Amino acid sequence: MIYNWKKIVRFGLPLLTLCIFIEIFAGQMLHLGQKTLVVFPIFLISIPVINGVGGNIGSILGARLASGLHVGYISLNAKDKKMQENLITAILMGIITYSILAILIYYVASFGGIQMGIGLIEFISVILGVGVLLVCVISLVSVFTAFWSFKKGLDPDDIVAPVVTTIGDTLGIMLLFLFIGAVGI
Amino acid sequence: MYAKEMLKQSLPLLIFCGLGGIVAGSTLGVMADILQNIPGLIVVIPAIIALRGNISTAFGSRLGSAYHLGIIDAENMWNDELKQNIIGSLVLSFLISIIIGILAYVTTILFFDVHPDPLKLISIVLLAGVISAIILTLMTIVIIFIVFKRGYDPDNITGPALATFGDIVTMFCIFGSAIVVEVIM
Repeated sequence: MIYNWKKIVRFGLPLLTLCIFIEIFAGQMLHLGQKTLVVFPIFLISIPVINGVGGNIGSILGARLASGLHVGYISLNAKDKKMQENLITAILMGIITYSILAILIYYVASFGGIQMGIGLIEFISVILGVGVLLVCVISLVSVFTAFWSFKKGLDPDDIVAPVVTTIGDTLGIMLLFLFIGAVGI
Repeated sequence: MYAKEMLKQSLPLLIFCGLGGIVAGSTLGVMADILQNIPGLIVVIPAIIALRGNISTAFGSRLGSAYHLGIIDAENMWNDELKQNIIGSLVLSFLISIIIGILAYVTTILFFDVHPDPLKLISIVLLAGVISAIILTLMTIVIIFIVFKRGYDPDNITGPALATFGDIVTMFCIFGSAIVVEVIM
């Protein structure tokens, strides 16, 4: 038998506990900004979208780099053309996805009869601002984590996803409050 | 082209996951009143979503590897290897849920001098964590079974599918648990 539940728990517990520690700080930031979120529920709706898309893009990029490194068509070099092409495509994909979803969220919320208090253009500016910055940072973190773990002889497949989703959640919420403040509401 | 293929395969999936995020976010929007009535509840949201994402995608990818190794297949699925994986995921969910509840309680007192009801907070997280773990474990097994039957590679399907349904199921579970605990306690 290959799998043993005790081993699964023993290997999973340390990394998960570390992730949870950081996620609790993300939660405390939500707590800090709770008043804003109650006045503008549209941002509450946006949080799982912002974090979900960021984490997914970082994980997709990480998995692709991991495969490339394992097979050997990507080399451990900041100037590697294939890596750069992956990085730029990931960022481009983020910009397209956040633009489409920002418009969708706005119309879903207004059809749902949610109190808006913010115009479409302002809302899209906030989500795109957060999204573009987030996806740039997450993609760079993904490349760095994939290269670093591969260099250390670890499997990037095990490491990149938890790292990028945890950093993405915390950073996403932080950037959201920053941009809400910048728009001046 | 390499980058074009990444856009073509991943972009629809990303937008689909984003739609799932909008459903999860809308649940959070509906919960706004409960979030205000139960101090500390908003703090656990990112952590419990991350817990679900990490445990179920790891479960899914282990089952994917088990399939590639020939340990499980559509005819021989319900065996001891699968059971060990299920027990491992459930035990991890149980332990981490308790840690999330305790951490949220302690940090809320430390940072905000707000005193949540510890028993209430931990009960909500534990109930939501364990129920969502059971639902998502069963869902993963069904998805994997269908994927096996059709002869697809589980690695391409389980990750995004679990990311999308995971957020929605988790949000519903937190919402339901908060109402149940609020009524009982």
